[in-house]
Amino acid sequence: MNLQPLFDVKSRLEQAAIAGTGLLAEDFRLQRAAENLKPLAAASPVFAKIDSGLQALLSAPAEERSGQLLDLLALVDAVTYTQGTSGITGELSPLPAGIGTCEPLSYGQLQPLLEALTSTGGGRMNLIKDTWENHPEYFTDFRVLPCLILGLGEGYAELADLIADILKTQKPEITSLMKKDFEPAGKKDMVRRVEVISALEGAAATPWLREVLPEAKKDVRTAIITALGVDPQNADFLLELSNGEKGSNRDAVLQGLALREGEEIQKFWSKEVEKNGHSIYFLAPSSSDWASDLTAAGLRDRIEKVLAASKPVLMKEQDELQLWLDSTNHKSSPAMLDFWRFTDEQMDSIRQLKNHNGRPMEFDAKLTDQLLYSLCDTGTKPLCDLCKELWEKDTKQPQWLSHAFLAALLTCPAAEVYDRFSPYVLTAKPLTGAQKKQEFHDAVLRGLSQISWDEEKNTHVIAKGNLPLAQSLDSRWMEHLTKAFWRTSFERQRLPFSTWEQVDNFDIYLVRLFNPSDEKMCAFIVPWLRERAVETGYWDTYSRWIIDFGGSPRGILGESMKKSKRVPYLYLVWKLLSEASGVLSPEEIVSLLEEIHATGLFRKSSDEMGETVFMKTIADLQAGRPFPERDAWNV
Amino acid sequence: MELTEQTILLQAPNPAAAENGRKLSKKGSFSALCKTQDKTVYWGECAGSGKNPYHVSIDWLNPDAPVCRCSCPSRQFPCKHALGLMFEQLAGKDFETAEIPQDIADKRSRQAARTAKKESGEPPKAKKTSSAAQKKKLSRQLEGLDMAEKMVNDLLTTGVGTLSGSSAQAYDKLAKDLGSCYLTGLQAAFTRMALAVRTIQQNSGQSDIAYTEALRILIYLRSVIKKSRTFLQTKLETDNFSSEDTVLFEALGGVWKLEDLHAVGAFREKARLMQLSFDVSYDEAKKEYIERGWWLDIDSGHIDQTLNFRPLKALKYVRGEDSRFDLLEIPTLYTYPGEGNRRIRWDSASSRPLTKEERAALPALARPDLATALKETKNQIKNTLLPKFLAVLLPIGQLGKVEDTLVLEDPEGTRIVLRDRPEDGASHASTDRLALLPERISPGSALFGLMFYDESDRSICLHPYSILTPSRIIRLQF
Repeated sequence: MNLQPLFDVKSRLEQAAIAGTGLLAEDFRLQRAAENLKPLAAASPVFAKIDSGLQALLSAPAEERSGQLLDLLALVDAVTYTQGTSGITGELSPLPAGIGTCEPLSYGQLQPLLEALTSTGGGRMNLIKDTWENHPEYFTDFRVLPCLILGLGEGYAELADLIADILKTQKPEITSLMKKDFEPAGKKDMVRRVEVISALEGAAATPWLREVLPEAKKDVRTAIITALGVDPQNADFLLELSNGEKGSNRDAVLQGLALREGEEIQKFWSKEVEKNGHSIYFLAPSSSDWASDLTAAGLRDRIEKVLAASKPVLMKEQDELQLWLDSTNHKSSPAMLDFWRFTDEQMDSIRQLKNHNGRPMEFDAKLTDQLLYSLCDTGTKPLCDLCKELWEKDTKQPQWLSHAFLAALLTCPAAEVYDRFSPYVLTAKPLTGAQKKQEFHDAVLRGLSQISWDEEKNTHVIAKGNLPLAQSLDSRWMEHLTKAFWRTSFERQRLPFSTWEQVDNFDIYLVRLFNPSDEKMCAFIVPWLRERAVETGYWDTYSRWIIDFGGSPRGILGESMKKSKRVPYLYLVWKLLSEASGVLSPEEIVSLLEEIHATGLFRKSSDEMGETVFMKTIADLQAGRPFPERDAWNV
Repeated sequence: MELTEQTILLQAPNPAAAENGRKLSKKGSFSALCKTQDKTVYWGECAGSGKNPYHVSIDWLNPDAPVCRCSCPSRQFPCKHALGLMFEQLAGKDFETAEIPQDIADKRSRQAARTAKKESGEPPKAKKTSSAAQKKKLSRQLEGLDMAEKMVNDLLTTGVGTLSGSSAQAYDKLAKDLGSCYLTGLQAAFTRMALAVRTIQQNSGQSDIAYTEALRILIYLRSVIKKSRTFLQTKLETDNFSSEDTVLFEALGGVWKLEDLHAVGAFREKARLMQLSFDVSYDEAKKEYIERGWWLDIDSGHIDQTLNFRPLKALKYVRGEDSRFDLLEIPTLYTYPGEGNRRIRWDSASSRPLTKEERAALPALARPDLATALKETKNQIKNTLLPKFLAVLLPIGQLGKVEDTLVLEDPEGTRIVLRDRPEDGASHASTDRLALLPERISPGSALFGLMFYDESDRSICLHPYSILTPSRIIRLQF
């Protein structure tokens, strides 16, 4: 049965309700629809009822029309519902098993996470982080995964990155969800999708990446090319792309080609760096011999050129030299070793180089620094041998002493290294040649500043490259260093506890050398730290170190605070003691509180603080309650 | 009963309170933790911002309804301290065994006495009210109905499309007057319609859906006004002021009490219910959240619903409901008047996990076939006073796709298109989740969802909510 006349009547009646029954008499479309319904009315009683309702409505007085219209609409609706179709024809293909898991999670468990992933506003980052820490299984639920993928488009970049990191820990099967609805011309969310897919699938993503590349634009294209670089099989394809791509896309091509091997690749890079010297930047992570040879040759040419020019080095030339020098990292081919020998021979001339302002360029220091960094990064045997060779060639100059010292630590027994190099660290002022002797002293300290104790590896390591020493440092170093005559500081170091205290870098290096699990070492360092706390007035940093090494600042904390140039912040006191309460006994904390209270320092700023906060906390601890929260101290 | 995180969330008035409790536990705010020998009472002290700690206790004598007590001044119940103490239990913290403190023992015995009195006595009787007051109320309601009818007529005469700007404000005011005539149900319906029309003015792209909604409400109002007038007049003429088993009472704005439901015989005993799905929606007209649970009576196969209303203004103080995964055994189950999926309530229940056999038998409680469900749905949605959908449990022959359309085929080979109900909004979208189901659904399972009429293609569709396999319930919502 053709029900279109019924639907037309329904539509006209609804229109009449929207436009008002006042206009019913002039509604010729309704009248026409009523006419068209006649054949149906003749065929069935229910349509006949609608037809008679229509006639009554059209002829009803104005005041009755509203009621009649609604009654008729109710009837027409009921008939259309009754006539409602259902089902669908065609071949039914069964649903394949999907991805993710199905956890019995309640609304209260799931909804806050789904809302945080799909809405806007503050507080979401913490919620997602907390859930990730406490319930990582929520994120594999099939209801959460789609929202997680949508979250890659989050405007708050830090949150979007967190979501990307979470996705990177999921099973590779979830990539099918990300490939669905992928927009190659999309924005940052699509870039993140590519990154996640690449991280999960690695080389297996190649077919899909190559499929979507032709349509890809802007940042998405760059991300796809970067991802293609992961698969060594794409080297030829990347070589092809290098001819057509520009800007950041070409940079991505170069980045991908930097770690590839082969004759074609080498040819490409030779041409590339010849044509565009700045491209050497992309070869920095490569440790292959051909890249090393290329870098050594290019850098040597450039140095020879500026040496031959005998004039100030232009800013542009300086930048290029620095770029090439940075690229020597990770490289130790024979040609690279020769390059370092060449610089050693030319060091006097290099020292004379002037920059565009006519001032010393100090490229000699940059060269020696670079070799030290390279050694700390990779510590390969050829580099170690080279460093020793350079030092032994002229032991009258300190320029290669740090290098040789570190090389020895990486390759020789600890006692031998101590015997050989500790005499350079002086414990008393020399009677003659102090300046020169301090240069040697500093060179060894500089080497030691690269070393730290690694709890996981249970040995000393060169921190930069996380390289374990041949043997842990000889324990005689510790005592020797605490007596060092010059406490020279080198690079700026991040303070361990982010306080205002400007702790001497020498102390920071020294503390890093100690193993907190070694009771003998701790027994040695704690008294020294207690002395330093009182000497410097840096109560916070030294107290924390003392606690880290199993001691307690009881007895020196108050004295150190008094020595401090400023009144301690109550917040820092709370933070120190709150963290200490996890390690020290409540009785010990009570003693520390009493000691701080006895200094009287806080009474100056606020009577209430001194009298109530400390006393109340002491009472709490004595009653067996935990150390109070920050709010309780009102800080 | 095993204490789980879900048990704690069920006790919490809202997820934030539970989270705050978890934080208190995590940061070690509790001390002096104790429990009784029989492990029914746990107590301890929780550090607060004040000088003295709060004394918190939980009485687990009835594990389904633990009694939480705390000396803090919070109006939330249970407070974050009590929830925190539960998290301490969950974390397996060390509770010393001790004698129950006297104050808790006293409160416990008073509570036991109250419960015993309640259980031994007669069922609660409906409160009697004066007939004069009832007459006055009925007359006022009849006046309100006249006013409502006039509003409907006026609106239709000028046209629903004219409901905008200042006329909408005047309309809101009139709708509020209905509230003073004890017709809050009608007031909400008018407000809902005005909101639908405002939606069109703000977003013309949704005009079709919004006008359809507005007209549905008008038809509903017309029907309620007509039937209620007859109903109220009869009551007034016969001096019959007792409650009656009719949907009109609630449609007018009446609120059922359990004793009234008991009085009209709207209850059954020893019911066993399993929750099929849980969801939350927001009613803009009444400014409240509606927490809805869909429940399957595992003895009769009937599907009913619980509704928990949480007004926005009192959100913090009204305990939220949550998904339930255990079987509930309910001594007295009260059912609201109506047809199809009726609203249900209870005042006490115990829970236990379903046995393997009970779980395996759940899919067999589905309607015999799709055709029967279709017929029942059409009958329900034709009724202007009933919801425009029917919650059904259908047997699965096959779940699959015809091109891009998700389809359920019953064992007889009858099909229905699976689609989200537009009125439910994006928060209830669940059809696409079917394609992500972690396992293939075998025949012998059942699909639970809402069957509805979709105006867009004039077809009856099914909005899927859960799948019942012989081994588990997979919830597409919550």
